[in-house]
Amino acid sequence: MTFETQRIAYFYFLAAVLLFALQVVFGLLSLAKYLGPDPLLGVMHFATTKAVHTNLLLVWCLTGFMGAAYYMVPDESRTEIYSPKLAYLQLGLWLTIGVVTIVGYLFGITEGRKLLEMPFPLKLGVVVVMGMFLFNILMTIRKANRWTTTEAVLIGGLASAALLFIPALLHFDNYTLDRYYRWWVVHLWVEGVWMLILAAMLAFLLIRLSGADREVMEKWLYVIVGLTFISGILGTGHHYYWIGVPRYWLFAGGFFSALEPLALFAMAVYAYNMLRRSGVSHPNTVALHWTIGSAVFSAIGGGILGFAHTWPQVNQWTHGTHITTMHGHMAFFGAYAMINLAIITYALPGCTGRSDENAQSRLGIWAFWLMVSGMFGMTMALAAAGITQTYLERILGFGYLETQRMIQVHYLMWLTTGVIFATGVGAFVWNFARAGLPVRTVAESAASGPSAAARVGAV
Amino acid sequence: MTKADTRRFFVLGTLLCTVAFIVLTVDSHRTVVAREHSRALGDDVRRGLRVWGVYNCENCHTLLGEGSYYAPDLTQIVAQRGVPYLQAFLADPSAFYSEEEHRRLMPTLGLSAQEIDDAIAFLGWVGGIDTLGWPPRPIRVSGMPTRLPGTETASAASDPVTQGRQVFDATGCGACHSLEPGVMLVGPSLAGIARRAEERVQDAAYTGSAQDAEGYLRESIFEPSAFLAPPAGKHGTADGLSYMPGIYTNTLDPQAADELVAYLLTLQ
Ligand code: HEC
Ligand code: HEC
Ligand code: HEM
Ligand code: HEM
Ligand SMILES: [Fe+2]
Repeated sequence: MTFETQRIAYFYFLAAVLLFALQVVFGLLSLAKYLGPDPLLGVMHFATTKAVHTNLLLVWCLTGFMGAAYYMVPDESRTEIYSPKLAYLQLGLWLTIGVVTIVGYLFGITEGRKLLEMPFPLKLGVVVVMGMFLFNILMTIRKANRWTTTEAVLIGGLASAALLFIPALLHFDNYTLDRYYRWWVVHLWVEGVWMLILAAMLAFLLIRLSGADREVMEKWLYVIVGLTFISGILGTGHHYYWIGVPRYWLFAGGFFSALEPLALFAMAVYAYNMLRRSGVSHPNTVALHWTIGSAVFSAIGGGILGFAHTWPQVNQWTHGTHITTMHGHMAFFGAYAMINLAIITYALPGCTGRSDENAQSRLGIWAFWLMVSGMFGMTMALAAAGITQTYLERILGFGYLETQRMIQVHYLMWLTTGVIFATGVGAFVWNFARAGLPVRTVAESAASGPSAAARVGAV
Repeated sequence: MTKADTRRFFVLGTLLCTVAFIVLTVDSHRTVVAREHSRALGDDVRRGLRVWGVYNCENCHTLLGEGSYYAPDLTQIVAQRGVPYLQAFLADPSAFYSEEEHRRLMPTLGLSAQEIDDAIAFLGWVGGIDTLGWPPRPIRVSGMPTRLPGTETASAASDPVTQGRQVFDATGCGACHSLEPGVMLVGPSLAGIARRAEERVQDAAYTGSAQDAEGYLRESIFEPSAFLAPPAGKHGTADGLSYMPGIYTNTLDPQAADELVAYLLTLQ
């Protein structure tokens, strides 16, 4: 920690980590209902627990991104955050909206549009909070009057994410149009603008963790985000095959989405090369694990497993089966959960002034391997479930309910590996808690903050 | 390659693709809206979409293959099940399924009669969307496969019985009728239906107007409520109406109907 106001990030990270743990609890709860029977049917049925699971995911990832911005922007622009008060107020509002949303779901108040279930007034609240956030960040950069490419990509990603939230506010009576614009939020987020955030956070971490040269890093950063948009924008069409729009989407969606893995592979190759060429120059091995892990897992979960079902000829059979669940879990975890965990573990020692114990803690490494192996196992279990389901239900023509009975064994595997994953989350939370509260001043953290030592000058 | 080059690549690539995306969006949007003229969005359909949202159906079910995977896809459900059955089901799912048997059950959501009708209107409208042939084979809520792929023989392709079997599959009779003896889906199993049809018309309890097995089958298909086959019980009927949809007069052409009946007559 070099600037006093980077401490703000700690509180965002704290919220993110707690919401992450809660997300996983609701994941396990939802899965238990798959195994059935469900003693909570009348109280909290699957639709409720599942919506809580996925919404918490979105909320904690965004919380992490905003925390990351409050940490990265001072570093990159070499200045204090414009208004710390506004940043804390924003966090308070954001969490209030989150809590009200989740409690509302438990009482059945929902708009029921997958991943965008939040009731309309609360969505407006999200827009306000995003506005406050962007204002604060932009004023900071303006005040400093200097910015780097890395930070521009990060802020560009966050600002576009806010902009692309607008279709979520629109209502269509025509179900085809309802679907069409839902994907502007969901797909253009995770396979478009969020990838900018991912790429920028990855670049930031690589520059700090390795001895990589910023000029080279940022040159390739443009290639990555260029590839992302060239493939990802028209790639939205891979969700338009069967919703009642003209046939040309089969071609446009198939072709461009098939190019999407390029950006993800490029990111993995980029991380690998930077570290191989420039070597590791930083003691925070936990953060290094998460950084590389994220590059690898997003390439497998998004690039390979996404590609596996993106052609219309395949997608017509697998569409809406556990193949989607398999891909969704590994891709989301690899791309957006892991990069958040990376920046959190990177920033934590500096924020709390306890660098050494935390940056190399055995517990932190355990948390990494437990989560990674748990998620890998979950992906395998879901792949088995998805392939079997596709074959029995979609190709042979067994009924849905009969098929579900026949794939129960894969749900047991999902549960087993899910528990391993959850253990890793527990370890992570405990390790986070052990680090204690943030220090009051930069001086306190400077004594131990490795982040300061490894700094490479901003442009 | 310099940083300025790669930046140009990013800016130009993004710009081009965004423009292409917007052009395609304008065209798609217009096409979709134009199709509304031939398939009007009634008020019930509009309200039905809200019912679908407010009760969070999408976080259990898929529709057009999108949603959640805890409950069956409902894209073709109205064509498969017909309105009376769905009305009864949505009012009380537990009358039709049990948690013991399937390990999961749709909760009784407390929809009003109006909401049920709206939801069905909405689902029916969605069922009419041109999905470019998705799903390639029907997805059914429950039942065993009616036929394993690859087991048809080419020589039998012109045989009316074989054709009738195809009509049976294509029309979706298998959604409600199993061909395994004793397996009750929504309707009774059709194993041995030829023999039973013969017995039915001679039975004193029979109140329909058919004279022979073939006539009985035709009546069952075209006027399902003319005679309610026992032991349908709560599974098959409500208020003297069969849950079997009365749509086949319109959807089956005479030749297909002949073939279907010829096929059913082989189920001794
Ligand atoms: C939505 C469910 C449903 C669908 C779809 C359906 N049926 Fe039925 N069917 C029933 C029910 C319920 C009964 C019992 C009540 C009655 O007699 O109508 C029945 C009864 C019958 C009977 C009389 C059975 C007996 O034991 O006497 C025949 C024959 C029959 N259906 C044939 C068909 C054929 C052929 C098709 C496809 C073209 C078809 N059904 C589609 C629900 C359905
Ligand atoms: C908590 C999860 C859940 C929710 C919410 C839910 N369903 Fe279901 N639904 C199921 C399950 C599970 C089945 C499979 C049958 C069974 O086991 O009850 C089903 C079956 C159905 C069927 C097919 C019945 C048949 O026999 O063909 C229809 C139609 C249906 N649901 C409509 C709806 C509608 C409309 C809504 C929203 C108003 C809804 N469902 C909400 C879980 C749910
Ligand atoms: C790393 C970024 C990615 C993330 C986080 C991600 C996440 C997801 C999620 C959550 C869904 C389910 C969405 C829903 O049903 O509402 C989904 C669907 C899908 N994804 Fe991705 N994805 C990523 C990258 C990719 C890539 C690169 C491809 C293609 C090459 C791809 C192909 C698909 C397809 C085809 C579906 C639709 C599945 C279906 O038909 O049911 N994804 N993705
Ligand atoms: C113990 C761990 C977990 C369990 C048991 C679990 C369980 C589940 C279940 C049961 C569903 C509902 C599937 C359906 O729609 O029917 C689901 C959906 C989802 N979960 Fe998890 N989950 C876990 C962890 C995670 C993590 C760590 C992430 C991401 C970081 C995640 C992301 C998602 C996403 C994106 C979906 C929606 C997928 C889709 O619609 O295809 N989950 N999860
Ligand atoms: Fe996508």
